[in-house]
Amino acid sequence: MSEWQAYPGGVYKKKEALYRELQQERERILKMGDSQILEKRKKSGQLNARERLAYLFDGGDYTEIGMHIKHRTVHFGLDRVSIPAEGVITAFGRVNGRWVVAFSEDYSAMAGTFGEYHGFKEAYAIQFAMEKGLPVIGMNDSAGARLQEGIDTLEAYGRLFRVQTLASGVIPQIALLLGPCLGGQAYHPIMQDFLIQARDTGFLGIAGPAFVKTQIGEEISLEELCGWKAHAVKAGQTHLVAKDDRDAIDRAKELLALLPSNNRERPPRHQTADSAERVAPELDEIVPDEPFKPFDMKRVIRAIVDDGYFFETMEHHAKNVITGFARFGGRPVGIWANQPMWAGGVIDTHAADKGARFIRFCDLFHIPVVTLVDCGGYMIGSQQEWAGILRHGAKLLFAWANATVPLISVIIRKSYAGAHYGMLDKSIGADFVFAWPTARITIVGADTAASVIFAREIKEAQTPEEVKAKRIQEFSELYENPYRAAERGCVDEIIMPHDTRKYINRALDLLENKFVTPGTCPWKVWKKYANINL
Amino acid sequence: MAQEIVEAPLAGKIIRVHVKPGDKVSEGDLLCTIESLKMENSILAPISGAIKEVRIAPGQAIKAGEGMITIES
Repeated sequence: MSEWQAYPGGVYKKKEALYRELQQERERILKMGDSQILEKRKKSGQLNARERLAYLFDGGDYTEIGMHIKHRTVHFGLDRVSIPAEGVITAFGRVNGRWVVAFSEDYSAMAGTFGEYHGFKEAYAIQFAMEKGLPVIGMNDSAGARLQEGIDTLEAYGRLFRVQTLASGVIPQIALLLGPCLGGQAYHPIMQDFLIQARDTGFLGIAGPAFVKTQIGEEISLEELCGWKAHAVKAGQTHLVAKDDRDAIDRAKELLALLPSNNRERPPRHQTADSAERVAPELDEIVPDEPFKPFDMKRVIRAIVDDGYFFETMEHHAKNVITGFARFGGRPVGIWANQPMWAGGVIDTHAADKGARFIRFCDLFHIPVVTLVDCGGYMIGSQQEWAGILRHGAKLLFAWANATVPLISVIIRKSYAGAHYGMLDKSIGADFVFAWPTARITIVGADTAASVIFAREIKEAQTPEEVKAKRIQEFSELYENPYRAAERGCVDEIIMPHDTRKYINRALDLLENKFVTPGTCPWKVWKKYANINL
Repeated sequence: MAQEIVEAPLAGKIIRVHVKPGDKVSEGDLLCTIESLKMENSILAPISGAIKEVRIAPGQAIKAGEGMITIES
């Protein structure tokens, strides 16, 4: 009370007292929460919520917003609990010179629990970022919902999910899983564009092991249920696995460098010394003579992109296909390719999901897509039929047919059946299709075709095997090549493998000003959006 | 001791098995070959170690996700 000064008719404080108050209040909040938790985290090599922000932003410098925000719950003694920064720090600053918004959940402040105003801060950060056209990075590390707040917590999640969805496609949203992210805490990262999970400390799940045990009786460890293998390998929900906090933030920065800040910008173009017309002679040797032998598509990617740089996403999931970013002539480009080294590069349900969401992300942010094709088709058989390969496979067709960015396909070997469209061809929307002389572009392989078309002749022949072999060869000679497709204009040019980079760069230059009004169709019919198979 | 069961990445037919119980393998060594959709798929060792169990034989049909070979490291 001694700070108060009296004057006739009232009281006031001197400026120095007011300034001191602000200083004290800031110090209290910046000290963060439970010192034991902070100490424990430090010993285990993890960064705390503020150190993470400092590591993200250039020079460790960021401007905090909503530092003084506070919950308003009175139940269960919460009126006496002070939660510094309400358990989540929201801020903006520069990352490699470009403005970025971030929020960082603070496990030391009431275990980073999510309540009404914690949720408000996160939702506001995303709304702010959307309106200003800035990428948002969420650093997730929280014990979960703040149950004491009941309906207020429940509603806050809904508001967050809604604003995230509205911001989706306007700004890139990247989630870092650096601590526990369970229940509602798992849902807001999952709805963002990219998830980066720290290998030993990031856990994601709709429910943790204790809840799973009481509700359905399953006993499983947190690591097995919610660790990096669960999501990066099995479920296909984590895009990148990081060694630790710093590595996760470094990966996010690397990803940001490939993306525009919003959907009204183009991705940043870099300077490169790698000539746009460079030939890659090693590619002439890469495809084996025997059509049943695999080759490593990642070697093809590294040989054609700028400086051999490839930022792969979902490396451990659906390894039969490859997604990631590279640059051509300094421009970021999305790569969608088969990997013949794993499951023959076939498209199964997981592969289709992995590709379709990647293509749609690229389309939303003006990133051209280049595909590298060697695919015998969509996977068949009861397992895949019952898993819904038809509807999963359809996602790729929706993605391509709706895409408005430059689309270039390079057919290296097989382009058969549904894979012909799933991997991108002219009929589904490609701007350019190039084929190597090793390409085999047709509806099915020769042996399948011959055994259907000539079934009767083969069955009735005196020497069925001989007739079958003859018919296979006949079909193969006619169709298992790039020439029939080129005759119809479905292939623009048949190119030598070593010239691939040159042709892609020329095509991208030509397509620089490709502009299609999104949401319109050639028949000028109004619609909201297409009913993609989900 | 860590154990890793190598699962079939896709449905198909086992055409060659290159290891037997007791063999030592290094990460990346060829374990077996599955033929599917007229393609040969090389299955490589995900970790280094000793082969503990081989549950497959040439000619056998296999489903995706089925355990084929156990490696102990």
